[in-house]
Amino acid sequence: MATVSLTVNGQRVSAEVEGRTLLVQLLREHLNLTGTHVGCDTSQCGCCTVHLDGKGVKSCTVLALACEGATVTTIEGLARGGELHPMQAAFREHHALQCGFCTPGMIMSAVDMVSRKGHDLDERTVREQLEGNICRCTGYHNIVKAIQAGAAAMKRS
Amino acid sequence: MALTAKSARIGEPVQRKEDLRLITGAGCFSDDVNLPGQAYAVMVRSPHAHARIRSIDVEKALAVPGVIAVLTGRDLLADGVKPIPHRPFSPHPADVTLANTDGTPMFTAPHYPLAIDKVRHVGEALAMVIAETVAAAKDGAEMVEVDCELLPAVSNTAAAARPDAPRLFDEARSNVCLDAEVGDRDATAAAFARAAHSVRFDTWVPRVTGVPMEPRAAVGAYDASTGRYTLHAGTSGAWRTKMDLAIMLGVAEDAVRVITRDVGGHFGTRGMLYAEFALVAWGARRAGRPVKWTCERHEAFTTDYQGRDLVVEAELALDADGNFLAMRGSNLSNAGGHTTNFSPLRKGVEIMSSIYRVPAAHFRARGVVSNTAPTRPYRSSGRPEVLYVMERLIDLAARQCGFDRVELRRRNLVTEAEMPYTNPFGMIYSDGAYHRVMEKALQLGDWAGFPARRAEARARGKCRGLGVANYVDTSSGVPRERAEMTVHPDGMVDVIIGTVSTGQGHETSFAQLVTEWLGVPFDNVRILTGDTEFVKFGGGTHSGRGMRLASIVIWGASQRIIEKGRRIAAALLECEPGAVAFRDGAFARPGGGRTVSLADVARGARDLTDLPEDLRGPLAAIGDETVSVAEFPYGCQVVEIEIDPELGTLEIVRYSAVDDVGRAVNPGIIEGQVHGGIAQGVGQALMEQCYYDPATGQLLSGSFMDYAMPRADNFPFFNTEYVEIPSTTHPLGMRPAGEGGTAPALGVMINAIVDALADYGVKHVEMPATPERIWRAIREARAAPAHGKVM
Amino acid sequence: MYDFSYHRPVSLAAAAAIAARDGYKLLAGGMSLIPALKLRLARYSGLVDLGALGGLRGIAREGNAIVIGALTLHAEVAASPEVARAIPALAALAGGIGDPLVRNRGTIGGSIANADPAADYPAGVLGLGATVRTNQREIAADDFFTGLFTTALQPSEIITAVRFPIPQAAAYCKHRQPASRFALAGVFVAQTAAGARVAVTGAGPSAFRLAEAEAALGKRFEASALDGIDISPRGLNSDIHASAEYRARCVQVMARRAVLKACEDRAGGR
Repeated sequence: MATVSLTVNGQRVSAEVEGRTLLVQLLREHLNLTGTHVGCDTSQCGCCTVHLDGKGVKSCTVLALACEGATVTTIEGLARGGELHPMQAAFREHHALQCGFCTPGMIMSAVDMVSRKGHDLDERTVREQLEGNICRCTGYHNIVKAIQAGAAAMKRS
Repeated sequence: MALTAKSARIGEPVQRKEDLRLITGAGCFSDDVNLPGQAYAVMVRSPHAHARIRSIDVEKALAVPGVIAVLTGRDLLADGVKPIPHRPFSPHPADVTLANTDGTPMFTAPHYPLAIDKVRHVGEALAMVIAETVAAAKDGAEMVEVDCELLPAVSNTAAAARPDAPRLFDEARSNVCLDAEVGDRDATAAAFARAAHSVRFDTWVPRVTGVPMEPRAAVGAYDASTGRYTLHAGTSGAWRTKMDLAIMLGVAEDAVRVITRDVGGHFGTRGMLYAEFALVAWGARRAGRPVKWTCERHEAFTTDYQGRDLVVEAELALDADGNFLAMRGSNLSNAGGHTTNFSPLRKGVEIMSSIYRVPAAHFRARGVVSNTAPTRPYRSSGRPEVLYVMERLIDLAARQCGFDRVELRRRNLVTEAEMPYTNPFGMIYSDGAYHRVMEKALQLGDWAGFPARRAEARARGKCRGLGVANYVDTSSGVPRERAEMTVHPDGMVDVIIGTVSTGQGHETSFAQLVTEWLGVPFDNVRILTGDTEFVKFGGGTHSGRGMRLASIVIWGASQRIIEKGRRIAAALLECEPGAVAFRDGAFARPGGGRTVSLADVARGARDLTDLPEDLRGPLAAIGDETVSVAEFPYGCQVVEIEIDPELGTLEIVRYSAVDDVGRAVNPGIIEGQVHGGIAQGVGQALMEQCYYDPATGQLLSGSFMDYAMPRADNFPFFNTEYVEIPSTTHPLGMRPAGEGGTAPALGVMINAIVDALADYGVKHVEMPATPERIWRAIREARAAPAHGKVM
Repeated sequence: MYDFSYHRPVSLAAAAAIAARDGYKLLAGGMSLIPALKLRLARYSGLVDLGALGGLRGIAREGNAIVIGALTLHAEVAASPEVARAIPALAALAGGIGDPLVRNRGTIGGSIANADPAADYPAGVLGLGATVRTNQREIAADDFFTGLFTTALQPSEIITAVRFPIPQAAAYCKHRQPASRFALAGVFVAQTAAGARVAVTGAGPSAFRLAEAEAALGKRFEASALDGIDISPRGLNSDIHASAEYRARCVQVMARRAVLKACEDRAGGR
């Protein structure tokens, strides 16, 4: 067992973890932040996406101990002071979620997409950039629309 | 569509109530539940597809640090745990009955949650290890020693039905559990005898799996002082799960409580209790602690209830003008390793003729077991398979006999004047404007402009194809549903109902019904589901029954609330009940003046002492209905694709769909359902397959690395519209809209692909129509132009 | 996973020393190793996380070559102006590995040390005739990939950088396996002063070169030079996703498309 200290959603936290403890386990089991989900075991579905030092990563494929001193933002940390992040608002406005299980990862991935690809995202770019996020409910149509709208809204805010 | 509603009434694309918690990570899915002191279960699963269990030695496993208990099938039997109460057919009066033609009862065998004498598919659970941590349980599972006698396995559907196939159940005559027939054999034979044309189509609709993004998980708890079990698990119906668990655990109904909160997708995959739900409940009693189990994705691939897997031989007879005279053939459905459910076989065979006029038909319907995971209904249970067959027969007939594909459909679609129409299997379609909807779809897909687009693509060396397919869905399911509605003195309105939302947005769409009918603010309405502590009965969500039945019982409860409220209001307003008007959530005296709201009435009912007995107490009412008629939603899809013949890769250029939803409650939600349904249909048509090795029964597609899930880049934006022609058999005109995206998708995709490759002489491509299959079809057709094979 | 002790050394020497212990394994981005560990397909007593070795991260021009540090992320290579200028095909290759989230963690060193038969980098390393630098020696690309998930690396040898000679023209085209999105067949072609190189990934047990295609392209670096060159299915992978025959076809088509793209980019001054 070892101790890992990091910042999660703006708060300094510490936890006793094993070498094999994954970041997603640290979040879900130690910190009770269950908004980040586990949907697969081959690092493909993207339900576990969080931001690690400002970049979107699959938290199911990152060791907790590798996050010593890092800054992590999860879906729970996206809204600020009770106000939804523009990407969250866009998902609701465009009915980009049905069961909601892939949604936290989808939103986190979308925010990361904007930081890498900018605010003016065309359909093709969004679809390609979503390769690491699987949804079974929506057929992706509304997700793409939401991300385009959310990206534009992020520019305005 | 963006959800910008003008109000929260019926017909408005209201933003969903459930979204706020889901987009902020505050949902509660199965694995989010943790109970104090919980232990963890890991299942020991068979690596073999077919084996007789000689012994299971748990000594070494018990010695692993952290292991609390290791339970096997023997322990299960000793404790009197019963098999999973599968029902081969969901009872509904509108569906046809399938029974063995020879009069013998169909074969079913008990399915215990842990294998007892044999394992019949890879992944079947043999033992449950309960430990302090998941890791310790896994370590323990590795030390369980299973001695078994390997048996030959059969996974291929047709092979499993052969008399010499390895037998799954020693006590059965063969693997074929059900051998039934429907229709009129003689009339059909006569029709074929005089037919000018007949077309034959043999195909296998392969097996796929639902893959809800949330893997299943459950926490079982047992209170020894009360003898009560509690199960926290995502289900598609908490009440049904409770009843099934009570049977398995041998306790009274109220000794079991099931709590289902947020559910990450269903699609039919969550349509029945899973072995592990019973195991964690039983395990909690044995271990003296709550027991949590979470399915890993590779585990889900081997043990989720899977879908489809139908071998079909079919023929269509036509007269010289192209009128359909009859159809006949044989459907063989693969039930998997247990006699779990044969509903897709029935739902399919009863609707083989789709919405076309087919005077006579005869089909054999067989169900067979094999060394594969058990199958159950999956999105539009049974229909995508058979509608694909019919649409392929029509396209084949058009090409073979020289008819135009659309004209052949126009000629044979049942007309509005013929409604209600009884199909050759006895199913009665109450109403439908099939021609109107198909015309709309053809326009949406710009059928007329296609030749120019095809030519333009050809100039670029690409092959464009266009497909059309009609569909009808038989929406039946558990016929009874119940809603309990209460208007609270503070103005909140609670509706307890026995459905469960697994992504359909019931918290919103059901609330819209209440807003419309009671005139109360949308934000005041709470839809409460999923906890059998307060859900006294519920059929769950499946077969398009959610909104269909919820609307009926919520309507009934609303009317009763209004009537009861009217009488109380009369007392408050000091006038005759008959004179009281109800509008916009309030009761008014004749001639205007004072009004009282429903909340006022609820307060009055609580506080007034001089009201009649039956009006005092909570302002509440129940809607409890049993609906014996089925609904038949229908629609049409037109799809345009472009194939690159170099490698057989395919791009969907345009996907158009028109559905008749009768009366739309939330158009945004409906549209989302169509999109998702399309995606699942396209997934099966192009890329998905549960691939079992024919020799060993090993599942070769056990993860997302090998089971191809459609991604965002597999689709364009969809082109969907709906029409609202009120259903004549639903009191509010509503038709289910949840499965129409999938129902025609298999047929329309393959029709489009064959159309694209027609110039090469390709007659058919089996599913999944992967690039390699398309490439090979082109090569084989080029190499043998004289005799292009059907398959 | 089976548990292990986790180490995060701050110097290359310390990393090498710890990695030399029995049952220890090097960890870079973890995008291949951690999934394997999660499925209990492998077991180690210790993991040596190289993430603190900042000196192994970075992209530099070294004469007529681009040198990429072993811990450089795929996303960094994909977005590097240096790489885009000198070897755009390599930037494009990196930009197509996995998905954007994987590219935010995966590293070039980790990828080639793992030598997945369907990974993209092996085709680029082999196709450009790169040199793999380790903390012990330099290994030529042709000597590096030796078999299925096997390389010439010694057990605790640490890749420090990969040196890519800048070609006259190059491109990478891959046909994706629809489930994993790995290469079902990926072909990297390069026109160099020493002749043409054609490297294939995804189709065989490890990345390999196509001698006949190289000879033809060496004479004339044009797509038509490949006409009449058959790719044999013998020795190619066959699985539920594609037969060896189809893979051979994919190799043929990807090779041709890669040459077309390389010529296009060269003409466009890229």
